[in-house]
Amino acid sequence: MKKSSIFGIVTIAIAIAIIICTYGSASTYGTFKDAANNSGELHIIGHIDKQKEVVYNAIKDANYFSFYMRDTIGNERKVVYNSTKPEDFDMADKIVLVGKMDKGEFHASSILMKCPSKYKQDKLDVKADAKKASI
Amino acid sequence: MTIDYQGEHLFPGQLGQFFIVLAFGSALFSAISYYFATTNTNKLDTSWLYMGRIGYFLNTVSVIGIGSCLFYIIYSNLFEYHYAWEHSSRTLPVYYIISSFWEGQEGSFWLWGFWQAVLGNILIWRAKSWEKPVLTVIALSQVLLSSMLLGVEIFGSRIGSSPFILLRQAMEAPIFSRPEYLSYVKDGNGLNPLLQNYWMVIHPPTLFLGFASMIVPFAYAVAGLWQKRYKEWVQPALSYALFAVMILGTGVIMGSLWAYESLNFGGYWAWDPVENAALIPWLTLIGAVHVMIVYKNTGHSYFTATFLTLISFVLVLYASFLTRSGILGETSVHAFTDLGMFWHLVVDVVVFAVIAIGLLIIRWKELPFSKKEEETYSREFWMFVGAVFMALSCLQLVVVTSIPVWNAMFKTSIAPPTNPVTLYNVFQAGFAVVVTLLTGVTQFLKYKKTDVTRFFISTLLYVVCAALITGIVVYLTGVYKLKFVFILVMLGAIYSILVNGKVLADAFKGKIKLAGSAVAHIGFGLIMVGALISAGTSSVVSQNTSGMDYGAEFDKANSSRENVMLYKNVPIKMGDYSVTYVGDSIAAPNHYFKVDYKLLDANGNIKEEFILKPNSQYNNKMGLVSSPDTKHYIFHDLYTHISMAPLNVMQAGMDLGHDAEVNDDDNYNAPTIHDIAVGDTVPYRDGYIILEKLNKTVHVQNIPIGANDAAVGADLKIVSHGITYEAEPVYMVKNGSEFDFARKVDDAGLKLRFTKIIPAQNKFEIMVYDQPEGKRPYIVMRAINFPFINFLWSGTVIMIIGFLLSIFRRNKELKTV
Repeated sequence: MKKSSIFGIVTIAIAIAIIICTYGSASTYGTFKDAANNSGELHIIGHIDKQKEVVYNAIKDANYFSFYMRDTIGNERKVVYNSTKPEDFDMADKIVLVGKMDKGEFHASSILMKCPSKYKQDKLDVKADAKKASI
Repeated sequence: MTIDYQGEHLFPGQLGQFFIVLAFGSALFSAISYYFATTNTNKLDTSWLYMGRIGYFLNTVSVIGIGSCLFYIIYSNLFEYHYAWEHSSRTLPVYYIISSFWEGQEGSFWLWGFWQAVLGNILIWRAKSWEKPVLTVIALSQVLLSSMLLGVEIFGSRIGSSPFILLRQAMEAPIFSRPEYLSYVKDGNGLNPLLQNYWMVIHPPTLFLGFASMIVPFAYAVAGLWQKRYKEWVQPALSYALFAVMILGTGVIMGSLWAYESLNFGGYWAWDPVENAALIPWLTLIGAVHVMIVYKNTGHSYFTATFLTLISFVLVLYASFLTRSGILGETSVHAFTDLGMFWHLVVDVVVFAVIAIGLLIIRWKELPFSKKEEETYSREFWMFVGAVFMALSCLQLVVVTSIPVWNAMFKTSIAPPTNPVTLYNVFQAGFAVVVTLLTGVTQFLKYKKTDVTRFFISTLLYVVCAALITGIVVYLTGVYKLKFVFILVMLGAIYSILVNGKVLADAFKGKIKLAGSAVAHIGFGLIMVGALISAGTSSVVSQNTSGMDYGAEFDKANSSRENVMLYKNVPIKMGDYSVTYVGDSIAAPNHYFKVDYKLLDANGNIKEEFILKPNSQYNNKMGLVSSPDTKHYIFHDLYTHISMAPLNVMQAGMDLGHDAEVNDDDNYNAPTIHDIAVGDTVPYRDGYIILEKLNKTVHVQNIPIGANDAAVGADLKIVSHGITYEAEPVYMVKNGSEFDFARKVDDAGLKLRFTKIIPAQNKFEIMVYDQPEGKRPYIVMRAINFPFINFLWSGTVIMIIGFLLSIFRRNKELKTV
């Protein structure tokens, strides 16, 4: 067998391994229900429930932040994040959590904010400006 | 219904829009002319060539025209234009106006088009016989880039996005029905505070010059296939490929320096899709450069060289699709959102992919595949292997970063890995082991055939040396606590540095032309060493648990409990440091928090003291935006950033003179009352207070003291956490009534009143108000130690020097051959 064919096979094998590994390590988007039935970490997309309390008290514990989120099928759970309250949390609407369920609470290892205004045209702001202008 | 709007400056926008259309038209004209110039069989007919050149020059002029109009609009604060309103504001200094110029997608497309115009002109001047086919490709790319800016409606769908759209065209609001709406638009949105950093002035132009210059080797490869000049294209393309790799690499590192200096994630590299997007084409082109050299020297690896060169530019376009189309959606914090150009960007990728693949298929039978196999002990074979591994490492990045694309294509909903950093680190480290080892091993191999015994002896000798040094380094830095693959990377990198060091030493003895690659490889090795140690053994100094368990952290990127809260003037022990939040300084819009670090020795003496000033600013759009501050040492960095500061601290800084006096007592706990004599001491929660003496000649401003009046000040000394303050509350009798004037010591969280004199006992009544914990100023911060990070930065500089030397060498060859 030619050396280059052997090397070619090795290359293809590594390429396939990469794809399988990617698929294997890939997580899933799920709901709180899925998280409760699953011991591993997964992604949950949802909306922050702004009616319920958002706890961050640096004096008590600088590394404890909790809030309530409603997932895509409407279930609501308390979310605990062992770090500071993310800076743009108040602006956020939709968020993506990564983490797992623990005793009825969702422990997030990361929170990704999808802020409507961050990189997008800020239409809301203009309307507010416009209102001010017309008063 | 037309409204006669007042105060708008429509001319610069109309002129700019005219230039956009002209740029598109002239690029198209140039591409077509160059195409016919290339296919024209009559060698004497130069009319197509001249038309192509005229088109290209016209395009260059238009691109400069677009830039000038846009800059004028932003510089003159013409907020009737959406781009200026969105990205700039009146208070922005000129150098940040430059950054706001390319904050938006349109500006960055312009930047890309500008560099491509410049490169095209250089090629018209220098490419000689290659000009026609190469410029055909570049002009075509210019057509597609200009079309991104068109913003014209064709058949009901908008093509491109123009930077000259007016505010009232870009959005709908009732205010735009008023002719004088502009008088209400007082200021623009301003530049994202995170981009207000000097790196953001030079990082985007460098990065986009890198992206733009990737087209040159691509164009040469296409020209080589098209004109059947299979052997010749490599020679001129090599210098340009080296240039592209050098500039893109510099741009990427500048981006990570920016992240390190102004972002809060605590590091310089996070494998974010946007970072990956820039790295992907770099990896394939660096692979391409190596096999191009192989092909030039031995005639082997023609297909790999061509393929990697072609795919690199297609990947540049793919990367720009990833970051600009909005497809990354939930997976990236940085990516741009959709400007409605999804399919436009797809078309861009597809056009060039089809050109590349189509030409390869058409010419397949003629391609100069080498008949003979490479020798096992030959440099060309192992360089080829290295290039393939580069491509594989790129494949891994592409496959994982593109998960949202797979979801869109196959209607699946796979989420990215929960811990992408670990996944990338481990995978890329695996490839780095092979690549770094090969950059060393190939130095002992010769092209064509090598003496096997000598090869094994010298390779082994250096491997043993490298293993010894690696052992020491790994032990001293703590890298041994990491996964085994990272130790192997360290071995590979040190081996590469040693071997290439030897080559460099030889180069100084005469083989000077070999210096370029040796220097670049040493730089790359240092980058690996620096990245491994600094990222792998970085330790969170502010972690509540003081255990040094950093091995686990590198594997698991998100560990928690890394933040520490500091009350103002209350020192906290953090690692070897005693850390105190000592004060604030404000340079609007930034609020700097002064954090004092004291390094104490075993006896508690101060060995070193310095102040870091991490800052935050409150932004209406984004909330609290913080940037770190870092103490740089030669062998490590101490990085500190504010995770959170109570808004009242920020506001106290921002609007001084706020009506703070109203019900001020609410800010304090109920007072404690003490009857004391001069010299007595009163304890309180954070220290003690001494009544030093009474001051009978005290004056309270604007209050005259009459004959029957009296005013007495109590000179108090307050000692809190080793710091001494002074305060003098005043007791006054005026016109038969008692008054007192409280004094505050904000830094100690105290308010003091002198409320009564008790002559019988010669005692004085002092009321002590201390602030409850929540009302006292505090910050929450995180501090990280990055050891040996300077290897990373110095490695980068060395690698750039290596690239420069190589470019000079290849250019010289070009002249002599």
